[in-house]
Amino acid sequence: MSDSIRPAALKALLTAAASLRNPELDAWTSAGGRVIGYYCPFIPEELFLAGGFLPFRMRGTGSTDTDQADAFFDHLNCPFVRHSFDLALRGDYSFLQGLVVGTGCDHLRRIYDNALHAPLEASFVYLLDHPRTMGSEEEGAEPIVRYYREQLSKLKEALENHFGVAVTVPALRAAISLCNETRRLQRRLYDLSVAPAPKVSASERAAVMMAGASMPKERYNALLSEALKELETAPETPGKALARLMIVGPAIEDPAFYEVFEEQGAAIVVDDTCFGARTVQALVDEEAPDPLTALAKYQVVDMPFCPKIGGSHAHRLRFIQEMVARYRVDGVIAQGYVSCDAWGCSYALLREAMQEAGIPYLRVEREYIHSESGQLSTRIQAFLETTGGRG
Amino acid sequence: MLNAFSQLMAQSGKGLFELTVNPQNESTTPVILCNGDFMAEIPVALGCEFSDLTLTGAMGTALPEGADLIDGGIELGVESRMCNAIKSACYYLESGKIRTPEMIITTNACCDSMDTLANLMNAYEPWAHVPRFIMDAPHTLDEESYAYFGRQLREAVTFFEGVLGRKMDWDRLREVCVESNKQSQLLLEFQELKKAVPCPAEPDLARQGTELSRWIKHRVSPEVTRWLEEVVRLTEQRVKEGKGIDGVDEKVRFLWQDLAGSWSTGTVLARLQKELGAVCVMDYVSYATWTPIDLASEEKMFASFAKRFLLEAAMTRQALHSTDLFIGDILRIVKEFRCDAVIMPAHVGHRDTNSRLKLVRDVCRENGIPCLVLGIDIWDKRFISPDVVFDRMSTFFQQTGLIAS
Ligand code: SF4
Ligand code: SF4
Repeated sequence: MSDSIRPAALKALLTAAASLRNPELDAWTSAGGRVIGYYCPFIPEELFLAGGFLPFRMRGTGSTDTDQADAFFDHLNCPFVRHSFDLALRGDYSFLQGLVVGTGCDHLRRIYDNALHAPLEASFVYLLDHPRTMGSEEEGAEPIVRYYREQLSKLKEALENHFGVAVTVPALRAAISLCNETRRLQRRLYDLSVAPAPKVSASERAAVMMAGASMPKERYNALLSEALKELETAPETPGKALARLMIVGPAIEDPAFYEVFEEQGAAIVVDDTCFGARTVQALVDEEAPDPLTALAKYQVVDMPFCPKIGGSHAHRLRFIQEMVARYRVDGVIAQGYVSCDAWGCSYALLREAMQEAGIPYLRVEREYIHSESGQLSTRIQAFLETTGGRG
Repeated sequence: MLNAFSQLMAQSGKGLFELTVNPQNESTTPVILCNGDFMAEIPVALGCEFSDLTLTGAMGTALPEGADLIDGGIELGVESRMCNAIKSACYYLESGKIRTPEMIITTNACCDSMDTLANLMNAYEPWAHVPRFIMDAPHTLDEESYAYFGRQLREAVTFFEGVLGRKMDWDRLREVCVESNKQSQLLLEFQELKKAVPCPAEPDLARQGTELSRWIKHRVSPEVTRWLEEVVRLTEQRVKEGKGIDGVDEKVRFLWQDLAGSWSTGTVLARLQKELGAVCVMDYVSYATWTPIDLASEEKMFASFAKRFLLEAAMTRQALHSTDLFIGDILRIVKEFRCDAVIMPAHVGHRDTNSRLKLVRDVCRENGIPCLVLGIDIWDKRFISPDVVFDRMSTFFQQTGLIAS
């Protein structure tokens, strides 16, 4: 589908991801709506929605350098952390009333410490501790679900006390059902890539996923639903990609990175990234007697694991292999930042597993802003030859 | 004093290292291998050997082949700027150089590198048959967190019992804890004595005293207690006599706020004190805040194990918890040990510490404490050589007027 015939709803979503602010967000804040920024998919948006807030996934969109953040962070700290924190220091996140940081990695956790001492507008800064294990064979996941439920309950209380809001059970149920609807729609978005020539590109898909955590959820669901209707009924795109790839690693926010692959004729049909396919695989139990427990269980048991979860390698591998089969993947690209230790050894493990499974594998260390395409293009070209044009 | 210590340390260190890095080791004592630290009292009471793969990797970096171990780690395809102690550990593991343990225990403490090493250990094919137990160390510090982690430690005991086919001897565990409490008390006494001016003991003694009580093969043994008693007795005597470190004319007292690493103590710190009279009176591994293990009930015992693990083990205190705690410690140490300056080694692998340097600098400035950030690799002197570190510290002391130019 050429750009000129993209559905208007899709264009609106792409626009929303292209910058931090978007018309829908502006309308929300102009009407006095409050916004909470959050840093990790382990943090359930439902909690914020139930308190009447708009959850906004923190990103570094539009950042060009990290001058201000570099006073707080070392050059070997995660570039995503530095770029997003830099924007906050420059006042680009002045629309946030609160910031919730997860304990996903050493770099992220220090955003919390630094935010407490930095001149940020957000009056509410909170560190949410989430478990980093799957639970023991003996006791199962029950103790960690219980622990995380308690942490969510503390966050809920802190929000209530700070903002004078009530996060009620019916509001939580409504938020769960709203977010489940988002997950279902996003899953359909991914399903578009099952076709030989995907109707959306990886950069578009990533942008649509980002938009989902940047505007009021109801509006997002309506726009995505409209875009999907048109995309699903549009005629199949002729031809097929040179190779169908899966991308693994931390979230990618810069569309230019995907474009280097697309320019070489490859299609990135699925991913295992922080805010990507992993977040649309399961739904939160809407019937559970205690919605907080349902949320805790979704986050620490049902959502496919990231490598930060202790002992999860075999599960992660199963997920990757399932995706490889479902989306008919020809090769796997493992990307990430230099100094992202959370993914550190998982690259070596993945390389080994892919070699054993005979799936071509390429490891790319990248920066937050994609600036150097030449060398990467050459590596991709060489890599595509190893995939043997299986697409 | 140092001789007696060195012998014990060398014997114990070698013992631990040989236990781990020796696939042919045929010792019949079951070995528990952890990716990092663990409550040593538990394996000791169970009659098991215990080893720590991170420490093994770190010790490897001090060997003549240290650089090859690190480079071998890189070639495995792990993240290229990961802590070199971990790269070395990865290499040891993947090249089949580690004795297969009888049990594996892993936690997410204390840093991302150790956490990712745990992933490698848990996915290591040749050990797929080894029973394992995975724990979650919370980043919060309150009674609830201690109870949460304490319950996991209790569960770990059940796991060990299941594998060993015998029950924990609770009287033996109490006995070990009593010994451990004695050692903590001695370390705290030693720490008190080190506040004297001039500093009565070598920096190595404090750091390695801590290591002796926690990280070595002979940990929690009466042998170590006796050695610590002797250290305290001799140090007390020196303080009474007003003696500082032999051959050192103390001019500057500084805090080294990190691990000492595998190369800095024998080289940089020794040279600084000898040539400039700049003495490292405290470092962040030696700094002990230990509260005794509460033996009143099983529940209390495990809650205090948890507290020790989460809050009172040096690197965990540094990496897993908040900057406010870290800075509070700096201010307390500077005041109590009468430090003239703070050195932040800023080990390149320490993402948790290198993302709080501004806050440390700001607090030091507000409190009139000269602070130098080095940016070294504590495991790899190819990154910045000991001579360069010496020169930078020497210039810093001169520029701040702490020593004459
Ligand atoms: S990319 Fe890696 S280092 Fe950065 S925030 Fe994510 S897990 Fe942490
Ligand atoms: S980064 Fe620090 S705490 Fe982690 S393994 Fe290396 S030296 Fe140890």
